Amino acid sequence: MVTQLIKREVEKLLLKVQKPGRYTGGELGSIIKDKDKVDVRFAFCFPDTYEIGMSHLGMKILYSQFNSYDHIWCERVFAPWVDMEELMRKNNIPLYGLESGDPISEFDFIGFTLQYELSYTNVLNMLSLGGIPLLSKERKDLNNIVVAGGACTSNPEPLADFIDIFFIGEGEEVDLEVIELYRECKKNSKSKDEFLRLASQIEGVYVPALYDVEYNEDGTIKSFTAKVNAPQTVKKRIMLDMDKSFYPENFVVPMVEIVHDRAVSEIFRGCIRGCRFCQAGFMTRPVREKSKDTILSQCKLLCDNTGYDEVSLSSLSSSDYSDIVGLLNTLTEWSDKDGVSLSLPSLRVDGFTDDIMSKIKTVRKSGLTFAPEAGTQRLRDAINKNVKEEELLNTCHVAFSGGWTNVKLYFMIGLPTETLEDVEGIAKLGQAVVNEYYRCETRTKGRGVNVTVSASSFVPKPHTPFQWEAQDSIEQILLKQNHLKESITTKKITFNYHDSKTSYLEGVFARGDRKLCRVMLKAAEKGFRFDGWNDCFDFDAWMEIFKECNIDPDFYTSRKREFDEILPWDFLSYGVSKEFLKRECEKAYNSQTTPNCREKCSNCGAACYKGGVCFEKR
Amino acid sequence: MKNVRIWFTKEKECKYISHLDLNRCMLRAVRRAQLPIWYTEGFNPHPFVTFPLPISLGIAGKRECMDVRIIDDSYDITLIAEAMNKYLPEGIRVFDATYPQYDPKYICFASYYAEIEVDGMTALQLQDEIKKLCMLDKLTILKKSKAGMKEVDMLPYVKEMALGILGDVCTVSVTLPAGNTKNIGLPLLFKAIENHLNAEINYNIIKLDMFTESMEQFK
Repeated sequence: MVTQLIKREVEKLLLKVQKPGRYTGGELGSIIKDKDKVDVRFAFCFPDTYEIGMSHLGMKILYSQFNSYDHIWCERVFAPWVDMEELMRKNNIPLYGLESGDPISEFDFIGFTLQYELSYTNVLNMLSLGGIPLLSKERKDLNNIVVAGGACTSNPEPLADFIDIFFIGEGEEVDLEVIELYRECKKNSKSKDEFLRLASQIEGVYVPALYDVEYNEDGTIKSFTAKVNAPQTVKKRIMLDMDKSFYPENFVVPMVEIVHDRAVSEIFRGCIRGCRFCQAGFMTRPVREKSKDTILSQCKLLCDNTGYDEVSLSSLSSSDYSDIVGLLNTLTEWSDKDGVSLSLPSLRVDGFTDDIMSKIKTVRKSGLTFAPEAGTQRLRDAINKNVKEEELLNTCHVAFSGGWTNVKLYFMIGLPTETLEDVEGIAKLGQAVVNEYYRCETRTKGRGVNVTVSASSFVPKPHTPFQWEAQDSIEQILLKQNHLKESITTKKITFNYHDSKTSYLEGVFARGDRKLCRVMLKAAEKGFRFDGWNDCFDFDAWMEIFKECNIDPDFYTSRKREFDEILPWDFLSYGVSKEFLKRECEKAYNSQTTPNCREKCSNCGAACYKGGVCFEKR
Repeated sequence: MKNVRIWFTKEKECKYISHLDLNRCMLRAVRRAQLPIWYTEGFNPHPFVTFPLPISLGIAGKRECMDVRIIDDSYDITLIAEAMNKYLPEGIRVFDATYPQYDPKYICFASYYAEIEVDGMTALQLQDEIKKLCMLDKLTILKKSKAGMKEVDMLPYVKEMALGILGDVCTVSVTLPAGNTKNIGLPLLFKAIENHLNAEINYNIIKLDMFTESMEQFK
C-alpha cells in the first residue's frame, strides 16, 4: 500500500465515517517524538469530540508545556463520534493517540480534563475503548495511571473509584511534579501503591483511594478520613505570576473546522466579581493578570506561528482587566498592521464602552452578547451580579448607535429565591432592550432589531455560596420556562431555553458523592456516552439505572443542605473559606450585594495565596 | 496584477480533509506567508483563491492546483513554494508556481492510480472479476444529479484502464472525465463494481494529473 502514517486498519475505516479529519492527526504544530527516546508518555484525553476538545485552551497549554521537555511525549486523544466508535469496536481497534497512532494502553499516563459533568460517561467510555480496566483498583501496575484535572475536580467524588489521581487547581506545576515522581518511581521499580502514596504528599494532589468515607443513615456523610498520611485537606495549586507562567508559542492548527478556530490569549485568571452562582469565579481566586507586554508578545508569536488572523482575549470577564483600554490600544497598533482581528468574549454589561467598541469592531461585526443573568434588580442583587437595568440599556444604546442590530441576552432560571415575577422580569428586560433600539436615533436605518433571550437552568455548584441550595425540579423549571414564553409578546425577541432534563443530571453529578460511582459504572457497562449531546442523551435510561442502583437522584438535587452538613467536597480547599460562602449565602437571602475585589476586600480567604488582586493597591 | 497557479500535493493525513477545510488551510498559509495577493474587497476581505478542479475528500493528489492573483508584478513567484510550506501541514506541499497556460474550463480528464482489495478475494481474483465486468455491455450505477437519481453507464467513460497486481492488492490506472461539464469520480466507478460484485472494496486512490480535451497536460 501507499505509505501512510495512519495505521492501515484505521485508514480502512476513515472513508466510512463523518469528518475523517478528526481521526488522522498530522496537523501543523502537532508534535512527533521518538517513543524510544522518551521516559514518560502522556495521553491527554478530552472527553468529547475533536472539534470541542481542540478548542480548549487548557489542553493547548499543557500539551505544549509537557512536550517542551525532551523526556515527555504528550499526545492528544478525543472521544470518537458514535459512527467511528462503532467501527472501532467492530474491528477491534483500540482508542489511540493522534500523534503516534499507538493505543492508549501503551501510555504511562492517561489524563482527562473534566470540563463538564455530562462528559463523565465519555471518560469511562474512552477507557473502555482503550481496553483499560475502569476501576482504579483493577489497574495494579505502575503504568496506565489515570489522572484528571479541570473545573469538575471541584467535586471529584462521582469519579473517585475510577481515577487514580486528581489534580486540584491549575496544572502547570503539579502535573509536572507528579510526572517527575512517576519517572523516579519507575526507575526504582516502585509499586503503583507506593507511587500513589508519595504523590498524595504533593500539594494539589488528591488520591481518592487514600480516603475513607462513612455515611449516616440518611445518606449524608458522617466522616471523611485520610489514610496513610494523606493530607486531610487538599489545597488547590495556582500560578501566581502569570507573566512567568508557561504559555504556548504555537498551537496545533486543526485542518477541519473546530468550534473556536482562532488564537487565544489568556489575559488574566480569576474574577473580581463574586457572582454567587458562578463556580469559576470562586474556584480561580485570586485574580492574577498578565502584563500588557506579555499579552502582546504572546499574541504576536501565536499568530506568526499558526497563521490565525483572529485572536480572542480570554478570561472570565475581559472588561475587568485593570487597563483594558490601554491593552486594546497596544494590541490594535499591532493587529491593524497585521490584519488580525481581536475578539473580546465575556464582556460585562457595564464594561462595554465606546472605547472598547471602536477597537473590537474594526474587522468583523458579529452579534453582541451580554449576561444580565436575572430579570429583576432584586434577584440580580441576590446573586450579586451587580448590573443595573440602566447600565444594560445604556450599553445597548451604545451598541445600537455603533451599528449592531443583534443582541443576545443570557439569563438563568431556577436561581435561589426566584419567583414568577422575577421570571416575567426577563421578558420585560428583553422588551426594554427592543424599545431602546427604537429610541436610539442613530441606529442603523431600515433594519429591525433582534434580541435573543437565552435562559439556561441554574445548577448549584460546589464551592459557591449556593452549594447548599435546592435545585429546581424539572417540573418547576418547565413551569417557569412556559411562564416566560407566555410573557414574551413581541416577535423581535427570540427565546431559547435549555433542556431541563440534562440540567437535572448535571445537578446530580455536580454535587454527588462516591455512592454515584456505582451508577457511573453501570452507565459505562451499558455503553452510555455523549450525554451532553441531544442525539445520545437518554433521560429515561438514566432514571432506570438510578433505580437499579437503588439511588434517589433527588437526594443530590432537590435537597436543601444544612450549613453544618459535611459536603462531599469539603476536604478540598480552593482558598475561599466556608465561612465566607455561608456569609454570602445569607446575604443572598436578604438581596444584599458584596463589592468586587478591587472596590473592597471581603475577606474570602484567597489572600492565603499571597498574591494577585489581594495585594494590589486599592 | 498577474495570475499565478500554485501547484501542490495533498497526501497522507491531508487527503482526509474536505475541500472547504483545504481552502481554509490555504488561506491561512497564504496570509501568513505574506504573499502579495489580491484580497477581496467585500465586507470581510480575504485572500482571493480559486481551485480549478477541487479534489474529493479521501483521494490523495499528486498535482493539485490553486489560482491566485499577485498584485506586485515584480514579485518572484519561485519564492512562493518555500514561503507557503512553512505554514502548511506535512501532507500538503507546494512544489511549484507557474503562470497559467489554460483556463480551468479546459480541464477534461483526470488520471488516477488506485490500489484496491476485497476481503476474502485474492488480488488475482479481483482483477479477473473487474476484467469480466469491463467486457459487459453496460456497467450501471445510480448517480445523484440535479434532476434526481439517474442510472449511468460507467463503461463509456473509462478511458485507458490498466489493471495490475502489487503484492496482495490489485492496482488500477485509469483516466476519467473531469472538470466542469462532465465529472466522474473514481469512487463512483468502484461503487458500480461493488454493486456488481456484491462486496465491499477497500481502496486507496491517488489523483495523478489533469488533462485537456486533447490529452495535453493541464498547465
